[in-house]
Amino acid sequence: MAEVGRVSIRLPSSIKQGDVIRVRTLVMHPMEIVQRDKANKIIPKNYHFIHTMTVAYNGKEVMRTELTQGVSQNPSITFPLKVDKPGKLTVSYGDTNGKTFEATAEIKFS
Amino acid sequence: MRIPDISRWMWRADAAAMSRRGFVRALVAMLAGAAALKDLSVPGEGAAQATSSGMPQPDELVDATLKRLFGNRTFQRGDDKIKVELPQIAEDGGSVAISVDSSLPVGGAVAVSSLYIISDKNRRPMLAKFSFTPESGRALVATSIRLATSTDVRVIAEMSDGTLYAVVKPVRVTISGCDLPPQS
Repeated sequence: MAEVGRVSIRLPSSIKQGDVIRVRTLVMHPMEIVQRDKANKIIPKNYHFIHTMTVAYNGKEVMRTELTQGVSQNPSITFPLKVDKPGKLTVSYGDTNGKTFEATAEIKFS
Repeated sequence: MRIPDISRWMWRADAAAMSRRGFVRALVAMLAGAAALKDLSVPGEGAAQATSSGMPQPDELVDATLKRLFGNRTFQRGDDKIKVELPQIAEDGGSVAISVDSSLPVGGAVAVSSLYIISDKNRRPMLAKFSFTPESGRALVATSIRLATSTDVRVIAEMSDGTLYAVVKPVRVTISGCDLPPQS
């Protein structure tokens, strides 16, 4: 999967000051699940999945999420954000291969 | 359809209501539980590290998960405060849409600190944890989860003062979302 780690952010089309908006994010990731041998024992290896998602708004962390292998492949997460002033939204994911995937979106009032 | 039985979570509160002696006993039990939780905090951190290093957590039953995450605290019914949307029948257990919306405050003296999604019959029941700040504005979240089999899904809101609100929803799953064929 060449596109592992592509993050997309979708914002509502019209945002007003003071709104609580729902931000939809999607990250392409296999979220590998546990494999077992014939004796039903977990095969030990470094399973490749996203374990954290952090959201920062204007550089300040506003939300932190812990994910496990119990979250679907290509996880899509909707989260709330209260926007009092325009700024930059950053969503970043950390996976078990030590990689971080990040995307930003500009929030402006209309 | 089976109605989730929340009453067994409540037994301690009921016992406390019965008599003063019962109340004192419950209080002692709770304090002991809190002390035990403190002692257990180090293995808890170890478990978190195990997740981040890419190894799955060991299999556990949901009662063990609840004990690990919340100690001996009792759960309050949160049906009027937390709205959980889940399909009654999920055809593909590999991707079950769940959306949670709650009227609980995220700022102020007593606020939601985290929402947990827990599936009773997954081998590792803890699926996801969402931690909010006052800038979130509202405690809502939507995602998709994997369910191993037909199960109850619990959404638990943890407040900053330690109160826990729980909502339980049953889901029927047609195809498991977790089991891969065994590797040779």
